[in-house]
Amino acid sequence: MSDLDIVGPQLAVLVAAAAVLLVDALIPQHRRIVPFVALAGLALSAAWTLSWVARDDYQTAFEGTLSLDKFSVFFYFLFAGITATVVLASIDWVNRAGRGQGEYYALVLTSCAGLMFLSASRDLITIYVALELSSIPQYILAGWGKDNRSSEAGLKYLLLGAVASSILLYGMALLYGLTGTTMLDGIADAIAADGESHRSLLVLASVLLIAGFGFKMAVVPFQMWVPDVYQGAPTPVAAYLSVGSKAAAFAVVLRIFFEALGEGFLSDDWSTVFAVLAAVSMTVGNVMAVVQTDIKRMLGYSSIAQAGNFMVGLAAISVSGEEFTLGASSVLVFLAAYAFTNLGAFIAVIAISQRIGSDQIKDYAGMWKRSPVLALALAFCLVSLTGIPPTAGFWAKMYIFNAGIRADLAWLVIIGVLNSVISGYYYLSVARQMFLGDAEGADRVRVSPSIGLSLGVATLGVLVFGILPTPLISAAKDAAEIFSRQ
Amino acid sequence: MVPMENYLILSAIVFSLGVYGVLARRNAVLVLMSVELMLNAVSLNFIAFATYLDPDRILGAIFAVFVITVAAAEVGLALAIVIRLFRSRSTSNVDEAAILKW
Amino acid sequence: MLHEYGHIGILLIIALLFPMGALVTSWAFRYVGVRPFASQDPVKTDIYECGVRTEGPTQVQFNFRFYYVALLFVLFDVEIIFLFPWALVFDDLGWAAYGKGLLFIATFIVGGIYAWRKRALEWR
Repeated sequence: MSDLDIVGPQLAVLVAAAAVLLVDALIPQHRRIVPFVALAGLALSAAWTLSWVARDDYQTAFEGTLSLDKFSVFFYFLFAGITATVVLASIDWVNRAGRGQGEYYALVLTSCAGLMFLSASRDLITIYVALELSSIPQYILAGWGKDNRSSEAGLKYLLLGAVASSILLYGMALLYGLTGTTMLDGIADAIAADGESHRSLLVLASVLLIAGFGFKMAVVPFQMWVPDVYQGAPTPVAAYLSVGSKAAAFAVVLRIFFEALGEGFLSDDWSTVFAVLAAVSMTVGNVMAVVQTDIKRMLGYSSIAQAGNFMVGLAAISVSGEEFTLGASSVLVFLAAYAFTNLGAFIAVIAISQRIGSDQIKDYAGMWKRSPVLALALAFCLVSLTGIPPTAGFWAKMYIFNAGIRADLAWLVIIGVLNSVISGYYYLSVARQMFLGDAEGADRVRVSPSIGLSLGVATLGVLVFGILPTPLISAAKDAAEIFSRQ
Repeated sequence: MVPMENYLILSAIVFSLGVYGVLARRNAVLVLMSVELMLNAVSLNFIAFATYLDPDRILGAIFAVFVITVAAAEVGLALAIVIRLFRSRSTSNVDEAAILKW
Repeated sequence: MLHEYGHIGILLIIALLFPMGALVTSWAFRYVGVRPFASQDPVKTDIYECGVRTEGPTQVQFNFRFYYVALLFVLFDVEIIFLFPWALVFDDLGWAAYGKGLLFIATFIVGGIYAWRKRALEWR
């Protein structure tokens, strides 16, 4: 039973998903309670995680394929929080769409369980299954809307996702063939024993893995699906994709590359690849975002640029000794800050587009007069995405660039800072439209309680971690401890 | 016994055919079939490695089983989306599904 | 190495000989003037001598509802892949594995109940 106890947080989410489906199918007259069942499941999952933190007894389950450690606990909380916020923000939209209410929440929960498994897996088979468990519901959700655009987004996401996962599998097959095991620690041992002789094949396997996960992380050159899917998919789903699957992809990349492929001669190679990808992603994402007129497309390109920022942390591993985990912990800080910020921005977009019926940036003109709270919240989140104090985004950028400089990647940090300036231009031009533009309609934009609550949580998170970043940073440092080399 | 290299070469050829199909085919169903080809090539790789390198001969086979299962789920879902697109647009060409720029 | 493929080569030769033999024989019979009796029986000229007569073109659009049936079939079919090894090592693993197997089946039961209540099993 202790195996099932260890995967309790995921199990709670999965049971909630089953309960949601059954409530929807067996007692359709009480369909309204479905989102609250989902929230209860997520709360139970968080409580279960908390009980493990209280027990302070970290161990592995299922023959070591799943590991409960501070790293996975960090991500359990993050994913439960993200999913709860997305569920809250979806209630209005799903009610209005009027169909498939149970299925929607069941899919979101299943995907969340997949993300949790992904952050905990230490075995290639488990990683693959968890990746697909989180991806397949996302493909369905992307095609959830009624219009052609949404089906098209779903089809594109699915086809490209399937190609990416088969490339990933090819890399995994090579890794398995070279080391004879699928366990991450076993792979690390095998590489330490006689990895040098297969160096070129190992590099090939890492490149294939980077390509496969690069799709999920949405970095250039595997980014072509991002703007299309964000624009076509329903906005709550786009919010979920932009933070959930990205965070999980970075979690698993950290695990694979730091734990299995962390051997010195290999990490020099892949950290260079990550550094180059980071520079290209930031630049391409930001330059493309400047010319967008649709705010969801703009946020899509901005998320590509942000993925470039995350990658600075992945590239910053050449620090030796005690500071080896600095890059990893900076990625975690950035992921958490980005999750709050991007969710806040997307939820504000949901609230505004529901009322004005448009995603065009020019229609946001004068939003300050129609709804001061929404305009302020969106502007605050955009400021945080740019990385200006007093927001969580500022500390995240500080911390990750600090890690970059410590790892002798000054050129990359300079590119990052220049890109922040570009990103400031388009983020703040949206804010300028909202505050200085002339309102087209005079009617007030009202917000429903559930969206208001989720927006409040996200924005408060950005503000609190902007003023008091220490708890977040120390939690991330603890979580990244598992990668330390002694 | 057939040496392992032959399996790896075969798998690489099949994988490349799959990649070619994904890039060259315009019909969504045929793109899907090409993706299946890629997945099967990988399964072949896993089983070859399991047979020749792994003393227990088991991990690779397990991996192949999971690949098959996930591929089935993926195809079931993809066909649903294609049918949906077909009903509203009466085409299953990827090219014509282009309201959103690629 | 090469003689491993020899078996396949022999099989290939036999596989080629069979249809070629039939073709060559019939061509040889026609050449020497041995022909089948000209038959007036319409059944003789049919595509199939027995079975249901074919009707219409073969490239028809299938009813969309077949999709549900096919999908459910695939799901429950693939489930067996995982139950089979479970059943094989059942004795060695004991009750814990039994419980986990039941958990796996329970998820399928939830799916089954869902499909049944959503009337995916009906032809409508």
